[in-house]
Amino acid sequence: MGEVACTGGSYGMTEMRTLGAYDFPAADRQELFGEDQLVNVHWDDQIFVPVPACFRVPKSMKWSDFKTQMIDTWAGTDPDYRADAATDWRLDDDPIEPQPDQTIADLGIVHKGLVRFRLG
Amino acid sequence: MAKASMRERYQLLTRDLDWQPSFVTKEELYPHTRFEGIKIHDWDAWEDPFRLTVDAYAKYQSEKDKRLYAGFDTLAQGQGHLQISDPRYLAAIKLFRQAVTPQEYNVHRHFGYIARALDGPGPRCANLFQSIDELRHAQTQTHSVSMYNKYYDGFHSPERMLQKVWYLSVSKSYFDDALSAGPFEFLTAISFSFEYFLTNLLFVPFMSGASFNGDLSVMSAGFSAQSDESRHMTLGLEVIKFILEQDEDNVPIVQGWLDKWFWRGYRFLGLVAMMQDYLLPRKVMSWQEAFELYLEQQMLEGLFPDLEYYGIRPPTGVDQAIAEKTYLSHALYWVFYQFSHAAVFTTTIPQAEELDWMSAQYPGTFDQHFRPLWEKAARMQADGNRFFVGGLPMLCQICQIPAAFPEPGNPAKIVTFHGEYGGERYNFCSQFCKSIFEREPKKYIQALLPVHQIYQGNCGGATIPEVLEWYGMTPHDSGEYTTSREAENWAKWHAPAGVMA
Repeated sequence: MGEVACTGGSYGMTEMRTLGAYDFPAADRQELFGEDQLVNVHWDDQIFVPVPACFRVPKSMKWSDFKTQMIDTWAGTDPDYRADAATDWRLDDDPIEPQPDQTIADLGIVHKGLVRFRLG
Repeated sequence: MAKASMRERYQLLTRDLDWQPSFVTKEELYPHTRFEGIKIHDWDAWEDPFRLTVDAYAKYQSEKDKRLYAGFDTLAQGQGHLQISDPRYLAAIKLFRQAVTPQEYNVHRHFGYIARALDGPGPRCANLFQSIDELRHAQTQTHSVSMYNKYYDGFHSPERMLQKVWYLSVSKSYFDDALSAGPFEFLTAISFSFEYFLTNLLFVPFMSGASFNGDLSVMSAGFSAQSDESRHMTLGLEVIKFILEQDEDNVPIVQGWLDKWFWRGYRFLGLVAMMQDYLLPRKVMSWQEAFELYLEQQMLEGLFPDLEYYGIRPPTGVDQAIAEKTYLSHALYWVFYQFSHAAVFTTTIPQAEELDWMSAQYPGTFDQHFRPLWEKAARMQADGNRFFVGGLPMLCQICQIPAAFPEPGNPAKIVTFHGEYGGERYNFCSQFCKSIFEREPKKYIQALLPVHQIYQGNCGGATIPEVLEWYGMTPHDSGEYTTSREAENWAKWHAPAGVMA
């Protein structure tokens, strides 16, 4: 047991009251994934597949590969999914127009970021 | 010498066994009761309503144990497991055994620590008895389901499962959060928020569910714990009033904890919502009805007007919980249904009568939003394609439940939340889980989200079968109920008389 210390100057904001120094790295920080990163994908306007999916992919993966290998495989477990009808791509709420040769990094998708779409 | 009265013996056990330290300061002897910012001026103001002594406690508990274990023996000898309504019911008990029973053991350890940590003899004594209660509950619950473990899949290795299995991290993170907090926050979280505020929503439905579904074993263990739980409820209320009465500065700290622990507890109790509406083949009452009775009427209308005297208001998040009562169970069970290839219990499409019951119980939401999902799943299953979703779920950084909760009041639209801390992004299921993160980000950036750990290669391998093996699961533990070994055995055991399976 270390020295009893109160580190909280502004409780209720972002400081914890702890018994001692308290500083630990995030358990899923980018550096632990090397040249890869995590990407979440949410299919809007339906609730048959309600949960956004989480994928580990290389930052250099091309959008066309990400779309066919990751999104289509996952969403395709719903027989009503139509791969060619996926549209209205967004990063959170911001519209994007992904091109087949653009990479995950090119598209500005951050580690643990959320890509959203709907069927047209 | 005349025999001491119960009251005198309690005095001897508590106040008379207390002493003023002379070799060390009181702060050195009790180093954990100041850093949270809670101010206690008079520990003797703690009123223990029970004034139990060790001999009286042991006598009551041993009498209850004798009756309980005689009942377990009778049920085991008479093939009591055949009396349950249907093995689908056992999914509720597996979840309870995996997510709740090991936590009884963990809080037993922590109440033991609290019994050492607090400055006052009254609360130390009360927490000692609660510690022994919790150990007893872990034991009696384990014994109550051991009969099922002989005949059904998925009852093995619950302690290992709790540490490893993805959806059980919902329970693990909730309790680890409380166990790693200071003693006053732990008491607010577990003694008050869980054991007083939310307890009737957990235990009453489980015990009535057991009773209605022919599970005399779990029902008996529940009733045997009932007098203990009443005592814990009383102590939970006592602890919160004691803290609030000691110093006005304690009020905002306690309010912050109530906001946090209501929301964390409510998210955890989504388990009960699913159980009531889906896992019990014979329904007791709907989640909505239980929520209205035990939370809205008993707590919001009964308890919180009393707490207003201390300057305490109902927790933030209550309004969203009320908005969710008409669809929570449906949204959650639909997720479990499609992920049950990776769960340590089986699921199936509810039967026609059950779907009608849900339409009647949830007139504004079920037919509009959820019945069509089950109808589509039934068509897929008829085509030989039982629906299991692909991929791994995005989990909430705080509650660790798949982030698939509807926009409050609108079951047709899923919403998620996100934030940033230290240059990293974090995802949440709700604004209230996000607020909990923002209060103490340094705590929650360490959360071991099962999906992210799987992707780091820390869970046995890169494929789902490897991960399930690392969990300790066997192929019979998961998936579809109607084609499971359990369903097959159940049919054999209930074959017409004279036919030996």
